[in-house]
Amino acid sequence: MSSQTLNIEIKTAGSLADEVAARSGQNLNACYQCRRCAAGCPVGEDTGVTPDRLIRMVLLGDREEALNNLLVWKCVACYTCGTRCPNNIHTARITETLKQMVKEQHTEPMNAKIANFHSAFLTSTSHFGRVNEMEFMGIYDMKTAVNEIKKGGGFKSIIDDLKDQMQLAKAMNKLKRMHFGIDKIKGLSEIKRLFAKAKK
Amino acid sequence: MEIAYYPGCSLHASSALYDIQCKDVLGMLGVDLKEISDWNCCGATSAAKTNDFLAIAMPARNLGIADSSGYAEMMIPCASCYSRTVLAQKALQTDLDLRDKINSELSAKIQGKIKLLSILDLLVEKTKSGEIGSKVSKKLEGLKPACYYGCLQTRYPADIQISDNVENPQGMETVCEALGAKAVDWNYKTDCCGASASVNDTDVSIRLMSNILKDAVSRGANCLVTTCPMCQMNMDAYQDKAGAKYGISERLPVYFITELIGLSMGIDAAKLQLDRHFVEATGLLKGLGLL
Repeated sequence: MSSQTLNIEIKTAGSLADEVAARSGQNLNACYQCRRCAAGCPVGEDTGVTPDRLIRMVLLGDREEALNNLLVWKCVACYTCGTRCPNNIHTARITETLKQMVKEQHTEPMNAKIANFHSAFLTSTSHFGRVNEMEFMGIYDMKTAVNEIKKGGGFKSIIDDLKDQMQLAKAMNKLKRMHFGIDKIKGLSEIKRLFAKAKK
Repeated sequence: MEIAYYPGCSLHASSALYDIQCKDVLGMLGVDLKEISDWNCCGATSAAKTNDFLAIAMPARNLGIADSSGYAEMMIPCASCYSRTVLAQKALQTDLDLRDKINSELSAKIQGKIKLLSILDLLVEKTKSGEIGSKVSKKLEGLKPACYYGCLQTRYPADIQISDNVENPQGMETVCEALGAKAVDWNYKTDCCGASASVNDTDVSIRLMSNILKDAVSRGANCLVTTCPMCQMNMDAYQDKAGAKYGISERLPVYFITELIGLSMGIDAAKLQLDRHFVEATGLLKGLGLL
């Protein structure tokens, strides 16, 4: 476990904590670093940042660090941290909020692949009202590929991903678990209006 | 008895077998599932990670449809869909401005009437009343399932009343007992499999899945049983990969709870679509003389 020094940013400390607390609905100030959350976090060892450290980053006002650390992206929202927290702080709601804040400031997310997955999912639902698994994966693949190319990366990771997906698709097809139809709902205009309202 | 039913996107696609099983099994238990009309995607975990308004608005539209359906209760089998819908219902109980904002775009308005049921709510009730037991024609002897609840059956990012033990739930075990199967006691009942990370953060997810598999195997389980289509898909489709990477040679079929109930109540294996598993699921049952 790396020991990383967090610096307090006096000028921005209060405002970042307030913004995150207000949006996520979580009382970050109640955290007393007992680390019950850290003990149960399934991705803690992969990110080097456990929920308690993330809360600390936000409270100290380090906006850069708070928005660009691996926990924000790798958090799978298993809700273990919040369930065990003696102060009821649902850090998964904080990572969900931080993911949204990164999207809003239009900067490159630390893990574009994960960000693209979720936005592709939502985009797909706005097309027909229900997710078409193939369409959604197509959008995700396209976004991921474009990102990789923008980064100047090679085609290997794109091809490897596609190979994995095709293998899964082949197995699913053999098991008759692939769904080829488009399930378009009649009230699609209601969904589209809700999506439009979300942008405001 | 008729109740409203929300299958969700997975049950109309890669987990369509679960949809069929729910209807058949609950039909045999006297519950006629009436799919609500023109339902939309609940947004699942992705909506909450992208936009808070949509995370509530999407399942909210389904609440409006359910409220207008004429039924008092609605059952949602998918743990994620159920979780998101319960969260939306709770938020809209107190945030009336938000409710009005969403209702202004809907023809079927949210009224806060519908009572939401998870699949386990229904199945545990039917077990405790003896209804499931009375319909069991074949005891599932020799089956030792590790009941896998995953994350969303008992955990919420809000104050939601859970009817089961949060860290050590017993709902599926209760049902399995009535079916004559001996559920194992194990450590990873509610541990995360990574969910969508199986696609977007594969290494992490494979590791998490291997931990679940390893513990189930070490406890003597010969299968996994679950109620969530995401859990089922992950533990089923990626088990080979996880086992190969982490040196676990055993493979455990991953059943939906409805497959086990259906099997013990005499529903035909073909009808249950038992042949649609990545980890072959009929061999174990044949070996135990259950098929």
